[in-house]
Amino acid sequence: MAESPYWNPRHETMPRDELDALQLRKLKRLVEWTETQVPHQSKKLHDAGVTADAINALDDLRRIPFLTREEWMQGQVDNPPYGPILAAPQEIAIRYHMTSGTTGRMPIRVLDSMKDWEWIAEMWCYGFWGFGIRPQDTVFFAFSYGTFVGFWGAHYACEKIGCLVLPGGNMTTEGRVKQIMEMGATVVCSTPTYALRMAQEAQALGIDLATGPVERLILSGEPAGSIPATKQLIEEQWGAKAGDTAGMTELGTIMIFECAHQPGGTHIIEDHFIEEVIDPLTSEPVDYGERGERVVTSFGRGFIPVLRYRTRDLVVKVPGNTCDCGRTFDIYDGGIRGRVDDMKLIRGTNVYPRAVEAIVRERREIDEFQIRLYTAEGIRDEIEVLIEVPDKAVDTESLTGELGRVLAQAHEGLRFNVRISDDDSLPRFELKAKRLVDDREVIGGKGERRSS
Amino acid sequence: MNNIFGNELTGGETKLVDCYRSLAAVLAEHSDELAPYQERNALKALGALWQVANGLDMEPGQVYHLGA
Repeated sequence: MAESPYWNPRHETMPRDELDALQLRKLKRLVEWTETQVPHQSKKLHDAGVTADAINALDDLRRIPFLTREEWMQGQVDNPPYGPILAAPQEIAIRYHMTSGTTGRMPIRVLDSMKDWEWIAEMWCYGFWGFGIRPQDTVFFAFSYGTFVGFWGAHYACEKIGCLVLPGGNMTTEGRVKQIMEMGATVVCSTPTYALRMAQEAQALGIDLATGPVERLILSGEPAGSIPATKQLIEEQWGAKAGDTAGMTELGTIMIFECAHQPGGTHIIEDHFIEEVIDPLTSEPVDYGERGERVVTSFGRGFIPVLRYRTRDLVVKVPGNTCDCGRTFDIYDGGIRGRVDDMKLIRGTNVYPRAVEAIVRERREIDEFQIRLYTAEGIRDEIEVLIEVPDKAVDTESLTGELGRVLAQAHEGLRFNVRISDDDSLPRFELKAKRLVDDREVIGGKGERRSS
Repeated sequence: MNNIFGNELTGGETKLVDCYRSLAAVLAEHSDELAPYQERNALKALGALWQVANGLDMEPGQVYHLGA
């Protein structure tokens, strides 16, 4: 059994009817626990006429009211510092974490007990084991260990699996690259952006990563881990397989992972989560193959019960048998495809940063890029893409013209201005990359002006 | 021993569930007589074995009241 490709063989290959029965049973227990332990949520359930006894089919889940980030944050304002969400006494918590706060909003603050922290690592084990990581691996974490939960759970998962763990916090990029090579790391964990940054650094140091010891990269923190062009670039530069994962602080861990078969998407850990996909406007469920917003219910972290949390992540769910790995867990084709609120409306055309990245990354000459929105002539939205092209032999005029044409073709003819930026002038990122800068003075169709 | 869906556990799985239940019982009944190193290591082990019992669909419940 030690050679099983699955962390939990029975659950990961469970027939759908049994998986449904398991989820239903866990859902009843979760509602029961929430009713008795969290008065604020209990009232919400009561107001909606939902009790554990009334949960008799998975469709009954839809009777439970949504939980939004705004509601969670307001709860923290009204009942600082955690809000009325805790189902267990604070005194037994052993971990405090918070969201990364890249959007400038109030961070979500969470607590975990010993059991929950083990569960958080357990979820990462599904992903690491499923991607082929084993006790004999040496795993390097390019991660600044802080209050952002990030790869913390992954670190403990690797200890649980029995890997040799190299915690690469508080190091320069040069130091990290050198340690990966010197210590013979076979696995590297980072954001997709930072994997590319380390590859750049290695090149500058004269280190050929592709012939080095790294066999696998575990990517997380950004949608780019499932953008084919970005992933291919990372795999080529490292000479290693790259597997996407995604999690969120609100859950404490990952809920999806890419298996070793690399189906072009990520399996949902369905024995621990129910993942609904809904139309973000109507809140109605969408079918397999249709894009919608993830809504998650988590069975794991009892300290903070999460029922029907609106994630704002955009996904496309497809059946588990789309992958030939044998798992019955459904898949998010293309991983997390962006955020509902990532979409920008430019002269009537929807623009998603992820879609722009997918096109830009097809051009290997481009080292770094930034999408900038601005207001022209006091009223007109414009979009430009700034690119760095370090190889001076590249015909940049041809490159910018061609890239602008391809971007326009993919966006209903919308004009993209593509400009060359000086080498190393664009920001580099270690955690979540923020490559879209919105400098518009006027936002939206109603002509409202920015105050700043 | 069967899980909540009536599936019979193997001998090894049964022993692991027994360990989990024994640990939970020790912590519930004898916590005040355990030395710090005994209690805290037992709690840590309980958190790990909870994952096993949960993965086997034994409905291990919550263990916050025990300190885990």
